[in-house]
Amino acid sequence: MENSSTMSKSAVKISLDLLSNPLCEQDQDFLNMVTALDTAMKRMDAFNQEKVNQIQKTVIEPLKKFGSVFPSLNMAVKRREQALQDYRRLQAKVEKYEEKEKTGPVLAKLHQAREELRPVRDDFEAKNKQLLDEMPRFYHSRLDYFQPSFEALIRAQVGYYSEMQKIFGDLTQQLDQPGHPDEQRERENEARLSELRALSIVADD
Amino acid sequence: MAEPGTDEPSSRTGSPDGEGQVSGERLLLHQRLAVRELIDTELSYLHVLRLCASDIRSSLQQLPQRDLDVLFSNIDDVIEVNSRFLHDLQETASRKEEQVHLIGNLFLECHEELERVYKVYCASYDQALLLLDTYRREPELQREIQSIIEAVLPQAGPSGLSFLLVIPLQRITKYPLLLQKILENTVPDASAYPVLQRAVSALQDVNTNINEYKRRKEVASKYTKVEQLTLRERLARLNTHTLSKKTTRLSQLLKQEAGLVPRTEDKEFDDLEERFHCVSLCVTEMKNNVAVYLDNLEAFLCFRPQEYDLDIPGGPVVQYCSLMRDLQLQAFPYFKQRLKGLVWQPLCSLAKALAGPQNLIKKRLDKLLDFERVEEKLLEVGSVTYEEQEARHTYQALNSLLVAELPQLNQLAMRWLGQILCTFMGLQRELAQQVLQRAEGSLAQLPHYHLSEPAFRKLVEDALGQTGHQLRSFQENFEKVLPPPTVQPLLPGAERQVQALLSRYGPEKLYQVTSGVSGAGTLDLTLPRGQIVALLQNKDTRGNSSRWLVDTGGHRGYVPAGKLELYRVIPRQEEVKEQEWPHKDSRHLTPAPVPSVPVVTQVVAVYPFVARSSHEVSLQAGQLVTVLEAQDKKGNPEWSLVEVNEQRGYVPSSFLARAASPAPWGWGLPS
Repeated sequence: MENSSTMSKSAVKISLDLLSNPLCEQDQDFLNMVTALDTAMKRMDAFNQEKVNQIQKTVIEPLKKFGSVFPSLNMAVKRREQALQDYRRLQAKVEKYEEKEKTGPVLAKLHQAREELRPVRDDFEAKNKQLLDEMPRFYHSRLDYFQPSFEALIRAQVGYYSEMQKIFGDLTQQLDQPGHPDEQRERENEARLSELRALSIVADD
Repeated sequence: MAEPGTDEPSSRTGSPDGEGQVSGERLLLHQRLAVRELIDTELSYLHVLRLCASDIRSSLQQLPQRDLDVLFSNIDDVIEVNSRFLHDLQETASRKEEQVHLIGNLFLECHEELERVYKVYCASYDQALLLLDTYRREPELQREIQSIIEAVLPQAGPSGLSFLLVIPLQRITKYPLLLQKILENTVPDASAYPVLQRAVSALQDVNTNINEYKRRKEVASKYTKVEQLTLRERLARLNTHTLSKKTTRLSQLLKQEAGLVPRTEDKEFDDLEERFHCVSLCVTEMKNNVAVYLDNLEAFLCFRPQEYDLDIPGGPVVQYCSLMRDLQLQAFPYFKQRLKGLVWQPLCSLAKALAGPQNLIKKRLDKLLDFERVEEKLLEVGSVTYEEQEARHTYQALNSLLVAELPQLNQLAMRWLGQILCTFMGLQRELAQQVLQRAEGSLAQLPHYHLSEPAFRKLVEDALGQTGHQLRSFQENFEKVLPPPTVQPLLPGAERQVQALLSRYGPEKLYQVTSGVSGAGTLDLTLPRGQIVALLQNKDTRGNSSRWLVDTGGHRGYVPAGKLELYRVIPRQEEVKEQEWPHKDSRHLTPAPVPSVPVVTQVVAVYPFVARSSHEVSLQAGQLVTVLEAQDKKGNPEWSLVEVNEQRGYVPSSFLARAASPAPWGWGLPS
């Protein structure tokens, strides 16, 4: 986004500097042309700013909001992970006791371990289920969530460029410059250059 | 017009005119001869030229084309002009009476064209000579050239190419002489006389102009080259001569600054220079700005959101991605390319072209200082040396060259600059057109295409508001702290103790030890993990709030506050936050709120026990028993009432499994 702003600003600078050049005072036509260009550029810049603002509202901010859910999601996942660890740990303990000889103390410990395990397991499963439910929903919601943003993006572009076309169309019409094909333009440039070179004060190289 | 020369030469009457007649006839004869000579030499000249241009040039294939261009420069134009000239000359031959007059007129008509064509040739002749010198140093090449020339024009002689190339120069200088000859042989009161006179002076002017042009070209080419010299090279160039030159100039400048010497003010030149300066400033600035613009365009294009895989099928996203892709791959690069070719390149060429004149202007100032000094000397001394004379001429040549050509330069540069600007604008417009076309195509495929802009915005706002709510709810879900699983059931004995504490202090004062505390001081307690204590005071006698005074039911002492956690006996109620899944109450093994009933637990018997009376019951190691009461009828905690195998009886409490320290299951937010 800043890129398009800088681009727009540099375009404005082109015309601004031209305007400040003293040549403008001397040559009326040139002055007219440059003033017109300057106006056009400034207007374009204003539109660009507007476009940026709009996009900010309709795309960037929703994006940020969407993104801000992720930390919470991550934490929930972490908690689940922890629950899983504890679950596993206790599970291992239980299994360890189960494998030992069934003596009294062992059995007692086994029982105890099982008791400990139960709540932990339930807790883990609850967390797991929650995430399993919620995460896909969340992920899915992005589809609907972002549709309008993209639409807005496209519209913003359309708006901006239609303004641009209008402005520059007027400008070129005002300055009476029909659209030449590129080869013609190139030829004209070549012609100008050779005119200049024809002067002996211009070095040939 | 009748000419006196048309009298019959045979009429020799003895009149005083006789002599005049004879001389008139002689004049006429000479005139005719001169005319004849003019035409004949023109013919042969043209013939030689044609041979040069066609046969010799085409045979000299081993030379590169560039060299050939330098050698022969615009010989074709010369040939063209001269052949027309010859044709017209030959025409005049048919009109005997008026021939001289016609010839005079012809010269007057053609002299401008001649000047135009010959001055170019003459100006590049020096370069051709230099080139020939380089050839002469290669004997092999020289011999080849020589043999070619001798094959075509034997009379060229040993000097070969240079002999041939100088012929046009010789010719153009010959014209005034030939005309002069005709003039001499024309009677002054002939009608052709004034015409001839004008023709002669015209041709002489042509020659002067050609010389002047040549000199200017020399001066220009000497000084326009902007040389990039390193400091070392510059130092190497210093010698006494240049040093003296520069010091003289500097002193002259200082004298002017001090007002000792008047400065030559040339208003015309100054105006021109100022304008030129503006133009070049304009060009430079524009060039820089366009460069910056191009850079920003590059940066803009680096950003490619559409290349990231968004994994959102269908809908506007696809449209957007394809739109941006098209723009990135086609419209913008095309625009950039055109911008570079049609705006940036010309600007660079223009800027470069302006560098030469800038140099010349600088040089002119230097030469001006020289010139002024020489003028001074002239005034004082009355004569100047050759070098000084040269300096004067150089300055004058430079000055006149600049004055003549700067206006044109300024104008051309301005015009071009204007064109470049217009191109820039046109390019922008075309870019907008293309993008718009493509974007509108995409827009048409969007669901809300038909909506007007404000309506669409409202729609988006609403949609975003809704989804915002949804997001918030998601966030809350993820954030809520899941209630911890129940506290581990306590040992029967501990349970009783808890009840006692509870009844004495109330539920909100009960804390559980989270990890083993080993007391260091006399009043500190040593407690195992999981022990339940009641809080008496949340700071010690010195006011240290990290040591709390607690009651274990038997002892009182201090424990670090960090190791205590609030112990909840009652099952936790649902929290205020909305929950989407049912809270599993079944994990709580403690039943409903009342804290008094001892918990019915299942424990494992650690040791076997043989019942010795009917009140007791036998146990096997590892057997699961249900504890009904954690004390016997007399309240002795050493015996517990248990049920096992459908039998009830007392067993020693110590034979029952001690709980492993109940881990605190409070699961707050992980830190």
